Amino acid sequence: MFREKLSAVKENPIAALYPTTKGWIVILYCICVTALSTVKVNGYALYLIPLFLMIPVLFAVSGIWEKFFGFFKSIFIFVAFIFIVQTLLIRSDAVLFRFGFLSIYEDGLQHAIFLCFIILNIAGILLWLFQTTETKEMTYALEKMGMSYKASFVFLSTFQMIEVLGKSSKTIMNAQRARGIETEGNIIVRCKAFFPMIVPLVVSSIMNTEERVLTLECRGFDTKCPKTRLLELKKSGNEAKAIVISVIVTAAVLIGRILLWVL
Amino acid sequence: MIEKKKHSIKEDFSTLALLTMPIAVAVNFVGSQIHHALSLPLFLDTIGTFFVSMLCGPWVGALTGLIGSLVNGITNPSGIPFALTSISVGLVAGFLARAKMFDTWWKIVISIALTSLVSTIVSAPIAVLVYGGVTSSTDSLFAATLMASGVNIWKAVIGTSLLFTCIDRIIAIVVTRLIIKVIPARNLIKYSLGNNYVKNSTSKTA
Repeated sequence: MFREKLSAVKENPIAALYPTTKGWIVILYCICVTALSTVKVNGYALYLIPLFLMIPVLFAVSGIWEKFFGFFKSIFIFVAFIFIVQTLLIRSDAVLFRFGFLSIYEDGLQHAIFLCFIILNIAGILLWLFQTTETKEMTYALEKMGMSYKASFVFLSTFQMIEVLGKSSKTIMNAQRARGIETEGNIIVRCKAFFPMIVPLVVSSIMNTEERVLTLECRGFDTKCPKTRLLELKKSGNEAKAIVISVIVTAAVLIGRILLWVL
Repeated sequence: MIEKKKHSIKEDFSTLALLTMPIAVAVNFVGSQIHHALSLPLFLDTIGTFFVSMLCGPWVGALTGLIGSLVNGITNPSGIPFALTSISVGLVAGFLARAKMFDTWWKIVISIALTSLVSTIVSAPIAVLVYGGVTSSTDSLFAATLMASGVNIWKAVIGTSLLFTCIDRIIAIVVTRLIIKVIPARNLIKYSLGNNYVKNSTSKTA
């Protein structure tokens, strides 16, 4: 369960890019999104839609195509909700459609497309970053940029802790059920079961930290000296190409935007 | 403790605090999983942040809030702007804990009011400016209903958010106080603010 992968060899050239390079790509993409969101076709920010189609393409060429719909499901629900509310709530004089008591106004639709595709684009590129980069690689790159090793320790052990707490919450729930606390039923019953579950969960984990502090101290966590590491991250060699391509694309988008203003 | 304890950031970030933060973030994560699973209008994702802020002070609490939002954001980045709210929760709760505002019940009531007020002030502009007032959480349904009946967007968002944040904070603070009450004194005193919650029984027996 806690066995760590020591090497981070990736077959795919895009997924294997150095984390900082991917970070730059994310920033440049966000600049593109901002620039394109100001271009309006009849008042609609339509250029954001083809830009969003880049995200599935990026997922596909990074070799994680099968993850796309799984992770996007929750984002799509989130955005669909916002879209519906925005189209129905913002009112103006120009009515586009009318179904019975519901009417869709032009301003509402414009604002909904603008908002939803900005969220989809930025959430999508961040999701690409998080899905192609393991947390270990990300903290490694951040440490190289000067982040404290303590911060990366906290970040990495958080993921272990989620697993540990998930496991012990099942144990505690079974124990409390054996003592007669109802954990199944309607929402009120389940809410009442929340308190006798969360309190022992936190308290037992807190009692365990003492031991973990001793373990860390024994292994020299606090000593002030250069640390060795099991994971060594190397640049794959394609970083410069990737940066150049994304800078060119961003520059082209920005120049196009400025030309539209000037002309 | 007779002499007044001076708080230093370095002292707040002890190894014990570093080990408590992952637990707190995991508790936040479990809470928000419950929120999503039951689609409650309550977020339940601040219990860990409150816990850390009450024991280790504002800066550790703020960092816990930030990490919690980032961890949630790895699977669904659309909620990352609300990291600011989590950070503010950690800061406010930490400063209140330093001022010993979680001792008696009337102080706790003031703390609940203050923390919910600050979170609403921070989260309402995010909800309105970034997401147009409505997100997919259940409390947004109430805000959307209010907006549909003609209430101003800011009033609708602030009103519903204040109501549900308040209930959320009541649960979070009550749970956290219960947890701290159960933890033995020998564990509590190792945290930088833990002494505030230890009943001074030695003076009575001596």
